[in-house]
Amino acid sequence: MNPVLPDEATEFAAAATKAFAALGGVDAARRAEDDPTTRTTEVAPALAALGIDDLDPRADADSLAAAAALCEAAGRVALPYPLPSVLLAPGDGRPMAVVPDGRARVNHGDLFGEWRVVTLDGRCRAAAATQGDRLATRLGPFVADLTPGDELGDAASDRDLHLALTGWQVLGTVDRAVELAVDHVSTRIQFGKPISAFQAVQFQLADCAVAVAGLRELACYTLWRLGAAPDRALADVLALRAHALDVARSVLRTCQQLHGAAGVCDEYDISVLTRHVQPALRLPWSAERTVTELAGVIARDGFDGLFPHGGAATG
Amino acid sequence: MDFDLGEQAASLRSRLRALIREHIADDYLGAFTHDPADLDVAQRFCRTLAEEGLLTIAWPTEYGGGGGSVWDQTVVREEMWAHHEPRGAQYMGLNWVGPAIMAYGTDEQKRQHLSAIAAGEVIWCQGFSEPEAGSDLAALRTRATPDGDGWRISGQKIWTSYAGMAQWCVLAARVGDGERHEGITMFLVPMDTPGITVRPIRSMLGHHHLNEVFFDDVWAGPDAVLGGVGDGWAVIRKALAHERVGIARYARCERLLSALGAELAPHWDALPASLHAQWARALVQVRVARLLAYRTVHAQATGEFPDVLASAARIAVTQCDQQVAEVLFQAVEHESLDAGPSAPLHGAIEDHWRYAQAATVASGTIEVQRMIVSKALLGGRS
Repeated sequence: MNPVLPDEATEFAAAATKAFAALGGVDAARRAEDDPTTRTTEVAPALAALGIDDLDPRADADSLAAAAALCEAAGRVALPYPLPSVLLAPGDGRPMAVVPDGRARVNHGDLFGEWRVVTLDGRCRAAAATQGDRLATRLGPFVADLTPGDELGDAASDRDLHLALTGWQVLGTVDRAVELAVDHVSTRIQFGKPISAFQAVQFQLADCAVAVAGLRELACYTLWRLGAAPDRALADVLALRAHALDVARSVLRTCQQLHGAAGVCDEYDISVLTRHVQPALRLPWSAERTVTELAGVIARDGFDGLFPHGGAATG
Repeated sequence: MDFDLGEQAASLRSRLRALIREHIADDYLGAFTHDPADLDVAQRFCRTLAEEGLLTIAWPTEYGGGGGSVWDQTVVREEMWAHHEPRGAQYMGLNWVGPAIMAYGTDEQKRQHLSAIAAGEVIWCQGFSEPEAGSDLAALRTRATPDGDGWRISGQKIWTSYAGMAQWCVLAARVGDGERHEGITMFLVPMDTPGITVRPIRSMLGHHHLNEVFFDDVWAGPDAVLGGVGDGWAVIRKALAHERVGIARYARCERLLSALGAELAPHWDALPASLHAQWARALVQVRVARLLAYRTVHAQATGEFPDVLASAARIAVTQCDQQVAEVLFQAVEHESLDAGPSAPLHGAIEDHWRYAQAATVASGTIEVQRMIVSKALLGGRS
C-alpha cells in the first residue's frame, strides 16, 4: 500500500509548474482570450519543450502518473490548451475528446483540424473542426462544435483515460483556488484584522481543504485502478468525474465568496480559473448526468474495487 | 503507487469474516441493545479473538501481541465496525488504554492490566469529559487531593461510554492549583471503588452507552497513577495518538449501502432516480473517506504524526456517516421508523441512523477538527 505519486511524476509536475510560471501563469489564459493564436505560438512550444510528445499515458503506470501530474499543473493556471486530448494523440496522431451523444462539442476544438471523439459507450468517430470557429463566450472562450465523421471503432480505454486526466486538471484548479483564498483572506483587512481571523472564514477554508484532499486521494486511486483493472475502470473514472464536479462546484463557489467582489473580477486569478474550468465541468456531461450514469454502471458492475465489502451491485 | 493492502491483509480479513460468520448472528446490532445477551455475545467473541491471537494482533510481541502492522490494525478496525463492533466495549482497552499502559505504566501496572485486556476479560471506560470540559478538555475540574500515601478524588465526568459495565476507569483529574494542562494526572481506578456512582443518560444511542460518573471522595492508592503526577496531558496525547484514525465508520456505511439494493428488491428499481443518484454519490463519498483514512494510516506507517491528515479524515468520515444514514433512511421511507429484526436490514439501518447523529461529536467534535485543519492552512496568518 503506497498512495503516493511516483517521484518521477512529481518531478515532472514541478518542471511543468516552472514552465507555466514562465508563461505568466494565469496570464497565459488571459492573453489567449485576447489573442487565441498564443495557444499555438506560446503554449504549444512550452509543452513541446517539456517533452509531452514523448509522453504516452497508455505506456505504463509511471507515464500515466506523469500525465496526470502534468494535467494538474495545467489546471492550476487554467493553461489554455487541451492537454488531456493531446496527451492521448500518440498512435493515431489526432487528439481525442469525450463528447456527449449527438453533439461533438470540444474545448479548444478549433486548434486542430482532425479529432477523434468518443461517447460514453466507447464508440469513437472522426471529427473535423473549422479553424478559428469558436464559441468565444466568457465561459467557453475556446469551445468549438466539431463535425462528426466516420466511425473509428472502440476507444473505451481512451475514454477512461481522458475522463481521469480531466479529473486531474480539475483537481489542479480547485487546489489552486484554495491557495488563492488562503492568500486573500490572510491579507484582506476588515474590521481592523485579516478576515482569516474570523472562524466563519476559517471553517469554510477547512471544508474546502478537506474536499480537495479527498479529491486528490480519489484521483490517485483512480490512476492506480486504471493500471490494475483497465477493463473494469468505468465506474472508477465516472466516480472521479462526479466527485471532481461536486468538489469544484462547492470549492470554487466558496473561494470566490471569500474573495468578496474581487472573486468575479478577472484581475484576480480566482475569476479566470473559475471561468476557464467550466468546459471541463460541463463537457461531456454535467454532474447530475455523470452521477446518473455512474449509478447505472455500479448497479451493473459493482463498485468494490479492492475494498471487498460484498459488492455494491443492486442486481 | 499501489492501493493493494496485500495478501496478509486479505487473509486476515477473510479470517475475521469467517469468525464473525461462525460466532455472530446476521441480525447482531452490537452489545448495547435492550437484550443483555448481546453483551454476552461480545464478551464471548472477545475471548474467542483472544484465543485466536487476533484480539491484540497490533500489540507488540513483548506484551503478548501479534506485532501486526497498522494495516493489520486497520483491517481489524474495519471488519469489526462493519459488523457492528462485536468486541463490544473492549475496543477501548485494546486500542489505547493498553498501549498507554505499555508506554507509561509501571511494571506492576503492566502485569496487572495488559494480560487481562489481552485475554478479553476486562472493560475499560474513559473518564475525560466533564460538564464544563468537553472539547476544551484542559478545563477539567475533577480534583485529586493527596491523602496519606494515596489520593482522594472528587468530581463529575460525563458522556462516559460503557461506565455501567466497565470494571476499570482511566481517569483524568487535576492535582494542585494549576490551570489548563498543569497538574492533570491520569489514574487507573476500579469502578467498584466506594464513592463512584454511575448514572445512565437516556439517549438515542444504545443502552448503557452514555453515562454520568460521580466521584465522591474516591480513594486511589499511590500505584493508581499512570505516568507521573502532573504528566496526564502527555499521557492523553499519547493515548489519542493511537486513536488518530478513529472508528472505521466508512466500513459499515459501505456494507449497508451495498446491501441496500438486494434488501429493497424488487422495489429498488421503482425508487426515484434522484435516490439512485444519492446512493451512487454516497458510495463515492464512502470511498473518499476510506482513502483519506488510508492516507493517515500510511503516514503513521512511515513514522509521521499526521494530526492534520487525521483531522481531515475524521471530518470526511463522520460527515459521510451522516450522509449515508440519511440516504438509507430516504430509501426505506416509512420503514425507517421500524426497529429490530423485522426492520430493513435487521434493524441495521435504523441503528446506523441513530448512531450517526453523534458521529460529528464523538471523540472530538467536527468543529475542533476544522480548527486544526484551518490552523495548518493559515500557518499562523490568522
